[in-house]
Amino acid sequence: MTKTLKINKNVEQGILELLKFLLDSGKVNGVFTLKKINKEGAVAYSLITRSDGLGGAVPLFPLMPVNAGKLLSRFSLRGKSNKPVVAVVKPCELRAFIELVKREQGSLENIFFISSTCGGVYPIEMAVDGAVENNLSKYWEAVKKGEILAQLRPACRGCVEFKPYTADMTVDLVGKEDIDKRCAILLNTKNGEGLAQDMRGDFLEKELDKKILDKFQNKREIERKKLFDEIEAKMKGLDGFIDIFGKCLGCHGCSKVCPICYCTLCEFESPDSEYKPSNYESDLKKRGGLRVPPGTIYFQIGRLDHISISCVGCGACEDVCPVDIPISIIFKKVGESVQKLFDYIPGRDVEEEIPLLTFEKEELPEFED
Amino acid sequence: MRIESDSMKKDEEFMPKILAFLCNWCSYAGADLAGTSRLKYPPSILPIRVMCSSRVDPLFILKAYLGGIDGVVVAGCHPGDCHYEKGNYYTRRRFALLKKIFEELGIESDRLLLSWISASEGPKYAKVATEFTEKIKKLGENSAKNKIFL
Amino acid sequence: MNKPEGSLKNKGAIISAKPSTKESIDDFLKKAMDKGVFDAVLIPMMVPAGDSFAYVLIEDKSLLKDAIPLPPIMSVQGGHAVSSVTRLGKGSMKIAVIMRPCEIRAAIELSKLGQTDLENVTLISIDCPGVLPISDFLSDPGKGMKQFDEAAKKWDDKIMRPVCQICDKSSMVAGDLHIGTLGAKNNTFLVISNSQKGNGILDELGIVTKESIDDWQAKVKNIAEEKHKKRKKNLKDLKTKIGSLDNLIDAFSQCINCHNCMRVCPVCYCRLCYFDSDKVKHPSENYLQMAESKGSIRFLPDTIFFQMGRMMHMSLSCVSCGACEDACPVSIPVAQIFSMVADETQGLFDYVSGRSLEEPIPLVAYKEEELHEVEDAND
Repeated sequence: MTKTLKINKNVEQGILELLKFLLDSGKVNGVFTLKKINKEGAVAYSLITRSDGLGGAVPLFPLMPVNAGKLLSRFSLRGKSNKPVVAVVKPCELRAFIELVKREQGSLENIFFISSTCGGVYPIEMAVDGAVENNLSKYWEAVKKGEILAQLRPACRGCVEFKPYTADMTVDLVGKEDIDKRCAILLNTKNGEGLAQDMRGDFLEKELDKKILDKFQNKREIERKKLFDEIEAKMKGLDGFIDIFGKCLGCHGCSKVCPICYCTLCEFESPDSEYKPSNYESDLKKRGGLRVPPGTIYFQIGRLDHISISCVGCGACEDVCPVDIPISIIFKKVGESVQKLFDYIPGRDVEEEIPLLTFEKEELPEFED
Repeated sequence: MRIESDSMKKDEEFMPKILAFLCNWCSYAGADLAGTSRLKYPPSILPIRVMCSSRVDPLFILKAYLGGIDGVVVAGCHPGDCHYEKGNYYTRRRFALLKKIFEELGIESDRLLLSWISASEGPKYAKVATEFTEKIKKLGENSAKNKIFL
Repeated sequence: MNKPEGSLKNKGAIISAKPSTKESIDDFLKKAMDKGVFDAVLIPMMVPAGDSFAYVLIEDKSLLKDAIPLPPIMSVQGGHAVSSVTRLGKGSMKIAVIMRPCEIRAAIELSKLGQTDLENVTLISIDCPGVLPISDFLSDPGKGMKQFDEAAKKWDDKIMRPVCQICDKSSMVAGDLHIGTLGAKNNTFLVISNSQKGNGILDELGIVTKESIDDWQAKVKNIAEEKHKKRKKNLKDLKTKIGSLDNLIDAFSQCINCHNCMRVCPVCYCRLCYFDSDKVKHPSENYLQMAESKGSIRFLPDTIFFQMGRMMHMSLSCVSCGACEDACPVSIPVAQIFSMVADETQGLFDYVSGRSLEEPIPLVAYKEEELHEVEDAND
């Protein structure tokens, strides 16, 4: 049983009241959350330091314009946060931040996390023309019933890591019919309890409903299998891969929005990967023709090699791709299979070492001669 | 290193081009021993000496594969015997990662081999070279060498 | 409008476009390679899956039959493609490049920026009817191809990208040779030389330019004037819509700072962009301070800083190719906004980006007396 704060308001209202309390009481100096930043309702992450800045905040808005883990990394990259802040993030964003902290790309100190069981988000292209706004009631109905909408991003539809591991507070969301009137926030850690202390609301002992979440997990696993099978049918060797990535523009957007891709100068944009005239000449002798700029497939498989061990399946890559390549499913599928080799779940625990930085004296005999 | 396509006559048998990364202290010495012992193995191997098998960046293997090499061997000291103590443990993990990626993408992961060959194992080197060459011959030429839209 | 730079003869050569313009162009290139005039050709081809097009550097002539000089979309900007081939040196291959006018201009700007060596490159431009928005094409590539071919025949740009619809430089501007298809009669097209190098190439090919290009020039002038009028009007309307800080912030409110626009832009060549560098990575204290002064800030901040900063850095070289708008995941009309600004900044110096290799980019040149309008009136 976990100490839980219950606020008798609609779930998003409840969170907003908690955030107001945290700012007003001085328990935190800043709040990271989604906010409507103009009258047309464009939504972006914001850093809010006064409770009057919470106007327009929409912590649970079903959109992920940027992976918040990447933002928190930027926030704490040049040293830990000197003042306490709280971030309302989705489970995959929190996991991404933990993976970045392991790579010394941020610091957990003075940052507290409010997350939730996650119902997924819409593709970023729906942010234009208010399409997300128009679908909000449909979205919340699906969350209440623990259903998976077809319009959600593929990465979300197939996500089985929808429960946060290390959040200080977890909002009980998915499958709860009463989120219109009740906001239940589990206080998982001492810090979470300390933050919620003295907040107006009822304190009780609660757990997330295992039956509801197991049912939801099953649905997600079915979707996941469907998505993976679909992509597997297309990935018939190198030719299949070339077919999928033929339309890749080499814009590297996928890499730039990926929370795990943190390198300021990417290997695949560095002089290492640049073709000299002599490289072109020798390649042309061999192949007769070469796609220019070269290295599209090299970049994609190379990026898989670099980040798949920590891929949290957040789907930011597919959102940003201008040519709609199903990158998130490919990276998610490969990511999960390499992570399974080491029984690793990225972002589960900041103490858990990235598998490539450690070893067992006896292991992986199936890969040795 | 320039890798030129074999110009094959129809009745000529396919002789694969196999890149072998050999660690200086064990595998390279083992390969030398195979040579001085006059052990026979096919002329398919293109050796590259590295100080430790963990020097092998998986991107080397990927680049070589996309460049058309028919097979890649990474050979190092037996686990526990690495000249630098732990290098080969990391090699094993990195290799497993890349091979798994190839498997998941349906790309011929059988073209990649990890083998532990010590300085005294001249015969093992010759055996690995021979058997792997046979395996690659069965797989055929790596079609990546002709691809334009890489 | 645009006077062809460097063409010493106001004449062209008529080439038969049978069985089709595409095949005739491919044939022309093949013959040139047979003669050794070119060692390789850089030209778009359809990708194996048939859902897009990519630039391919071709040395094997048999591949030319699958080349598509004017694909319905602009996947990679041609200037980018040229630069990736010759950035590190001119190499030993003589390369012919067939690209749209804006791509040619981008290649020329890149040469001035030290990002490509054009000595062994022959730039061949071609009359351009525009391109489809990439997302429209991808939703149904087969249909897209058909619609594009229909529209291109009639020079109808309704289905083309907004920035193509206002392009007044869609014919010969710069480069070495030009393929003129506008107003061409009876299944033919014109080959026109646009530089000394172009003259030399035609000589080597034994192509004599003795035909009048007046008809073609008249047609080009007509279309350019029409488009120019439309451009002025559309960009004026745009300025009204976004011309204030508040409206600009609104226009970029959906921006997720993915920087796709910057990366696909041919003239944004910096390996490490200022706006990705350490200069914009601040410690948490700074961010909190920024937030405290307003109560709330967008995080990460500096979206407008990036957009306007990029304008500052590259608008003098902007060729209005529209790659940025195609790449934006939230459909911001980036190309139109940047075109609006670029017209003004280039106009300030009477500069047209990519018009000429000899014309220096305005920021690396100066006149001792100029721009009095931006100086203090008292000076």
